[in-house]
Amino acid sequence: MDFRVEGISYKYSKEGRTVLDNVSFSIEQGKVTAIVGPSGCGKSTLLEILSGVIPTLISNGELSGTFQKPEESLISVVSQTPENQLFGYGVEDAIAFGLENMGIPQAEIAQRMDYVLDLLSLQYLRARSVANLSGGQRQAVCIASVLAMQPDILIMDEPVSSLDPNGKSLVQMVLKQISLDGNTVILVDNNLVWSAGIVDHIIGMLDGKVVFDGSKEEFFQDFELQKKLGVIIPQEVEIYRGLLPYFPDLKMFYTVEDGLNQLAMMVNTKLFSKGNAPAEETAESIISVHNLEKVFGNNFHALMDVNANIPEGKITAILGQNGSGKTTFVKHLNGLYKPTTGDVRYRGESLLDKSVAQISRNIILVFQHPEHMLFEETVEAELTFCARMQNIPFDKEKITEVLTKYNLLEDRERFPLNLSMGKKHILTILSVLFSSADVIILDEPTLGMDSSLMDELEILIKRLKEEGKTVIIISHEIPMVFRAVDDAIILNNGKKIFQGTKEEMALRDDIFDKIHISMPPVVVMSKALGFDRICYNVDEFVEEAKALKVKEAE
Amino acid sequence: MDYLKYVDSNSFLHKLDPRTKFAFFVVMAVLTSVIKSFVALAFLLVFFVIIWKSCHIGEHILVLLSKLKVLLLFIFLLWLCLGLFQEPKVEGGPVFFHTTFSWVGQQHVFCFDWYDFYKGAVYSLRIFLMISSFYTVLLTTNFSEMILGLRKWHIPYSVAFAIGLIFQIIPITIKELQAIMDAQSSRGLEIDKCNWVTKVKNYVTFSFPLLFRVISKGQSISLAMHYYKLDFSVKRTAYKAIKASRLDVYFIAANVVAIAITIVLRIMYYIPV
Repeated sequence: MDFRVEGISYKYSKEGRTVLDNVSFSIEQGKVTAIVGPSGCGKSTLLEILSGVIPTLISNGELSGTFQKPEESLISVVSQTPENQLFGYGVEDAIAFGLENMGIPQAEIAQRMDYVLDLLSLQYLRARSVANLSGGQRQAVCIASVLAMQPDILIMDEPVSSLDPNGKSLVQMVLKQISLDGNTVILVDNNLVWSAGIVDHIIGMLDGKVVFDGSKEEFFQDFELQKKLGVIIPQEVEIYRGLLPYFPDLKMFYTVEDGLNQLAMMVNTKLFSKGNAPAEETAESIISVHNLEKVFGNNFHALMDVNANIPEGKITAILGQNGSGKTTFVKHLNGLYKPTTGDVRYRGESLLDKSVAQISRNIILVFQHPEHMLFEETVEAELTFCARMQNIPFDKEKITEVLTKYNLLEDRERFPLNLSMGKKHILTILSVLFSSADVIILDEPTLGMDSSLMDELEILIKRLKEEGKTVIIISHEIPMVFRAVDDAIILNNGKKIFQGTKEEMALRDDIFDKIHISMPPVVVMSKALGFDRICYNVDEFVEEAKALKVKEAE
Repeated sequence: MDYLKYVDSNSFLHKLDPRTKFAFFVVMAVLTSVIKSFVALAFLLVFFVIIWKSCHIGEHILVLLSKLKVLLLFIFLLWLCLGLFQEPKVEGGPVFFHTTFSWVGQQHVFCFDWYDFYKGAVYSLRIFLMISSFYTVLLTTNFSEMILGLRKWHIPYSVAFAIGLIFQIIPITIKELQAIMDAQSSRGLEIDKCNWVTKVKNYVTFSFPLLFRVISKGQSISLAMHYYKLDFSVKRTAYKAIKASRLDVYFIAANVVAIAITIVLRIMYYIPV
């Protein structure tokens, strides 16, 4: 039997606004249903209703409508932060927890544990402690612990939002396996890049209402809707959308291989000529790192003999898998870590004897989690925090101008921690605009952002560059990195394995293979089709493809 | 180095039944609150050092010592100062300064002697041994084992779970506080080169975002308890079982001998404090 949501409406309080308004849809058994929509559209509330949190734990709201499901059906959830979900020190303890709560006998727990660990190919983690797992492994164990309870519906809430590419592929593999095994899954995630190949059915939500209910194929054809819902879609689909007006015979593709197979017959392909990457105009180094080594107390070598120069006035990406040393590296740039050996210099002056606050006058690090940074009472106070700490004068007009530019004017007097995750991120970045720092380091700034906020972030980063700031960015959003940055440093197991321009980086497939990160589809496809230049965004790609098609017609 | 956190290892102490370790803590806590002889306490310290060394947790105890140094120094100075107004209770030993004075019509003695140091050392050592015995259990027993051990002692699951949860959350909270301090200093808040008044003020400042993070984590944890169908009124089963082994017998025997020696030393070398 399928599960059906029938006319559900919800308010958190009687006087409050309607968060869900007559929501109805079916959940097909054995299929993967994705619920998408921008922040505040009601996705999380719907998840709370489906999982029984409302009304079991939150009972003071006004709920109408029904969630039709067989009696005694079990619905469980995998949250976006497994460290807050897993109970138990070891992997076995964590998986057994739910089963023990259900009163399952020991022999059956052992049987189910074996089953899920085999199903998800996680037996190798069995004897490990949860604290020592990587983000992806922890999320996979979390999925295993919920799956072992044999839920009728498994709900996954943004399961890869904080994972690196390796973690994402692990969870992707796990989800594929679960779906092949006939489990019913609901994915609450506005990022369909990693799950596009697995999702069967999509529910689109906007302002508490269902605005789309259909197949993945139908959803990906509706470009306007994707934009309106702020859904992050695979770059392959964006390419398809860009090419369609000029290549009407093109069929939707979700993978690079499929796209290449079709385009190979529609454009004049040739062998890609590597040539030489265009020489970059030389920029002075604003930060130089000399023979940097970092050894932590447990004799863990986090960084080994790293030498690097950060060019002034440019956007530099620091890339690598989790654990490669990216965050350790940037924490040396702003003084949070002191090198075991080596030196870090800002405009030739060593930073070793300066405090973090002193360095922040020149170099500011914006942290990954905005909740660690936001603590003022209003958005306006938060915006001027750095300036006040550094005694930098600022005026009300500039504050209004910045708030207006980034759609935060109506939030001016709001409590910052009540903003959406994406807005919190934007606010923490904006607060550095009022400081004296000319180097801004952004650690994973896209966390929790939908596509429109990511576009805004990209514009903001480019604006910072135009204003003469040097931007250093750590991000796993590889297509965005290739669109926005000028230079890159790639780290692997604590060693620097590449530093150069974006153009040079695009030619180094070997490096990307080594760090197990894929280049963006536009880069891969423009090289595979032999375009005259490597494309870094969809517009460039479409231009090049059009040019080749025209030549063919001639 | 992390502190207040279980150390993943395979030492004999890690392999013991959690109940043996709980009993070790209880007995040592009682012993150190009863024994006030420096020689006996020093012997107990040697016994502890042997345990720490053989379990490779010595470095972690040093971290604890560095965290406790202000407290221990305070206790030492407190007892030293109180002793300045007393004559030594035993004869002999060096006296550095001795005088009498009258205050509010009463005659008082001021005597700075070896006995003041002795008392200060005894009281700080007692506190250190008491805390370190608990810390030894904490370093070698993960919270899942703690819950199992408490359950075996027929402690209600809700209580055992809450205790285990506290030890699961403490390292997370310490990590959060560190991240908040790092984030704020990265934005220009001076926490390194400032006086202690500013430092205290800054800690108050940090407590605000920390409170929000802890509340948000608490909410996530209660949601997770719901997802995993945790209901304290329902009888649970257990996947893992714990039972005492020969190691527990050896450890208990070693403790009995150590306690006996401590008591003998206490009788032989007792100096009233």
